[in-house]
Amino acid sequence: MKSRLDGFYVRRPVRLSLTLLSVMLMGSGQVVAEGDVSSGRALFPQCAACHAVGEGAGHLFGPMLNGVTQRAAASAEGYRYSDGMKKAVDAGLAWDDATLDAYLQSPMSYVPGTKMAFAGIADESQRQDMIAFLKQIAVDGTGAVAADATADVVATPLAQEEPRPLARDTVVPEHGVLHLGRQALPEEVVAWDIDIRPDGLGLPAGSGSVEAGVDIYDTQCAVCHGVFGEGEGRWPVLAGGFDSLTDERPEKTIGSYWPYLSTVFDYVRRAMPFGNARSLSDDDVYSLTAYLLYLNDQVDEEFTLSADNFSSIEMPNVDNFIDDDRMEEPQYAAIVEPCMQDCLEGEAAVTQRARILDVTPDGGGDEDAGGSID
Amino acid sequence: MVSSSDKTIQSGARRAALKNGLRVGALVGATGGVGLTASGRASAEVTPDPLITEVQDWNRFMGDGVDANPYGKPSVHESDAVRRTVSWLTAENKSSINFTPLHKLDGIITPNGLCFERHHGGVATIAPADHRLMINGLVDTPLVFTMEDLERFPRENHVYFLECAANSGMEWRGAQLNGCQFTHGMVHNVMYTGVRLKHLLAEAGVSPRGKWLLPEGADPSHMTRSIPMEKAMDDCMVVFKMNGEALRPEQGYPLRLVVPGWEGNMWVKWLRRLEVGDQPWHHREETSKYTDLLADGTARRFTWTMDVKSIITSPSPQAPILHGRGRTVVSGLAWSGHGTVNRVDVSTDGGRNWNTARLDGPSLSKSLHRFYYEFDWDGSELFLQSRAIDEQRQVQPTKDALRAARGMNSIYHNNGIQTWHIRPDGSAENVEVS
Ligand code: HEC
Ligand code: HEC
Repeated sequence: MKSRLDGFYVRRPVRLSLTLLSVMLMGSGQVVAEGDVSSGRALFPQCAACHAVGEGAGHLFGPMLNGVTQRAAASAEGYRYSDGMKKAVDAGLAWDDATLDAYLQSPMSYVPGTKMAFAGIADESQRQDMIAFLKQIAVDGTGAVAADATADVVATPLAQEEPRPLARDTVVPEHGVLHLGRQALPEEVVAWDIDIRPDGLGLPAGSGSVEAGVDIYDTQCAVCHGVFGEGEGRWPVLAGGFDSLTDERPEKTIGSYWPYLSTVFDYVRRAMPFGNARSLSDDDVYSLTAYLLYLNDQVDEEFTLSADNFSSIEMPNVDNFIDDDRMEEPQYAAIVEPCMQDCLEGEAAVTQRARILDVTPDGGGDEDAGGSID
Repeated sequence: MVSSSDKTIQSGARRAALKNGLRVGALVGATGGVGLTASGRASAEVTPDPLITEVQDWNRFMGDGVDANPYGKPSVHESDAVRRTVSWLTAENKSSINFTPLHKLDGIITPNGLCFERHHGGVATIAPADHRLMINGLVDTPLVFTMEDLERFPRENHVYFLECAANSGMEWRGAQLNGCQFTHGMVHNVMYTGVRLKHLLAEAGVSPRGKWLLPEGADPSHMTRSIPMEKAMDDCMVVFKMNGEALRPEQGYPLRLVVPGWEGNMWVKWLRRLEVGDQPWHHREETSKYTDLLADGTARRFTWTMDVKSIITSPSPQAPILHGRGRTVVSGLAWSGHGTVNRVDVSTDGGRNWNTARLDGPSLSKSLHRFYYEFDWDGSELFLQSRAIDEQRQVQPTKDALRAARGMNSIYHNNGIQTWHIRPDGSAENVEVS
């Protein structure tokens, strides 16, 4: 059983501050003039896919942000900024409340060509909170984690609890066998049930064109996936690879491998852009799906995708998937007692060694060798 | 360039020298044993061991009192028993992988902090009070549960292995990574506490048309997979505890799905939703990924079960033999997604002759099994292999048999027999043999 101490000392204060936070964020006239550090800290997870802060933080996809307001813009040592960012610095960009506010509101329009592929924080008070948080992170990383994280929790006295309802007054629901849980509301199901199936079940209303897709893709996807879907560095390749599935090094892309278009829509809507999931509108996702079809030579540049013509699109590789028949492979099909003695002719000789292909970490070796885990 | 196996051996030898040689005097093995030393020479002369004859610091000075570590940590001497990653595998570390240090572990249970990690969008941080599990789709009553609701269902405890389908996936083209941590470390084995899925589904009332289940995660990848209803109703669980304590954040705190014997990607972490449907969804992780490309360009899909497999964890490249010839313990792990492991055989000559190893500890269905094979090593070179046979009498295949059946680009489900080359100096290397 959950201990009471947990329930009262830990959970309640956290809830309290969350409520407070949401009141502030909803902008109910109470918006603080100066940003709030702990609210900013609470917003940082949306940056953490690309940025690290705190003691010993290093560069990720984006530069480490310790002391970012105390250094010149785009000056973190050992980090390679985009040309767009360098140009902005040459033109005099320096980080202060105003420039950070503009950058965080819409990075890609404030600094054209920046590789910070992030849609931006629309809410002004959230931006202020974020800036307040960033400003108090010292060069050594102090300030990234709340110093009083535990102090807060212990401080709330038990006396402030309202009296607890009596067990016998609890309403027990009718449904089910054990009468546990509660009925999900239609709005709740709609909010979470975003999955799409090959037969089109789950597709939202809307549409999007290849033309509209270009812009969204170039600003929000191309930094990682490349302008033509060819993949920058080790980021996934999204286009090409036709007829490569029997090659020594097959290239499995949307066009060469994926059996269903619905998977593209579903995945982009649920997981992309990486680090800012669920930020795209349904029409954006239609446009991006249309554009990814275009990059894979499946439609021309005039094409518009909608719920109506969705299921008319057939992917080239759809017929090449088979069900699991591993148990029919020779080594499994015949159940035989394995050989125990003199099973192979001659002495064992080495045919392959890891030292030839030594790609083991910490080996001080070739970092670019080897394959991928997929 | 110093290859990692050279480094392992050097540091191994250094450690051996420290332990056996330096404290005793000029390169002399302790307690009459034969120590391999940095020079590679062995000596049998024994002088009194100062570790015994002199009072040591830890005999006299008191260490920490209680509560120095409110949550206890491993000994400072175990600092290399850690998960490790291979940085070049992925573009960054939010959708990435690290590996369980199998060579450092014994028994069958994996400590929580050493269970390998695979995330697709970083580790979600969720307060249990803020977590919800929804059941919707083809059910009589769509439901929402809190964590407190879930704890009121009948609870069960089961030990299951979780193996990533891509475990050993780097080795399809030949020996690559030098260490069982890297070749086989995408597996862990934990005792879970939780609730059978069938109880949760019964509460919502599954429609007769409900043949498939879609679990979904609450992290930014919103991970989804299609699971046939038969499996969901059989042994799947939603769990909140691992090895007795709350799930670790990186293992899906506060709630994860357990799909015994099936590939790890299906064990959705940070589980927030279960949808019942009449067809599979064919989502990204069961089309683009986790489909097994064959040599003729077709690909298998829905290859869920993890086939019978075993690995010798010691000796192995990260755990060379430091004691010289004589009594030697071979230790390893075996498992099968089809049930229990019946038997493990060990070969020291690259598969010419086999000896049946000793299974020790509990033999549980869809759990790791520990085996030992003890023998007198004469100091000559060995080609160590292990071969597991499961309760369905499926025999772990050779890598060549798998390549003949599937080609080189299957990535997933490589359960081939592993060979470690033990050299006369006791060092070990990942090889393939004729
Ligand atoms: C998708 C990845 C991504 C996300 C998410 C992201 N950033 Fe960035 N950020 C970057 C990259 C990449 C750069 C470097 C820009 C360049 O070189 O064009 C950057 C640059 C910056 C800079 C300038 C750093 C300097 O050294 O001058 C700041 C400040 C910043 N980001 C703050 C944030 C904040 C705050 C958030 C969250 C609200 C955030 N970023 C979210 C990728 C990201
Ligand atoms: C910050 C880098 C980044 C950005 C920006 C980004 N992605 Fe991705 N994308 C990734 C990563 C990383 C993965 C693989 C994630 C995984 O495997 O868990 C991925 C996977 C994908 C895949 C599946 C690829 C496959 O072969 O399975 C598609 C499709 C995709 N992204 C589309 C998009 C679209 C569309 C956008 C723009 C809205 C976008 N991505 C923006 C990094 C990025």
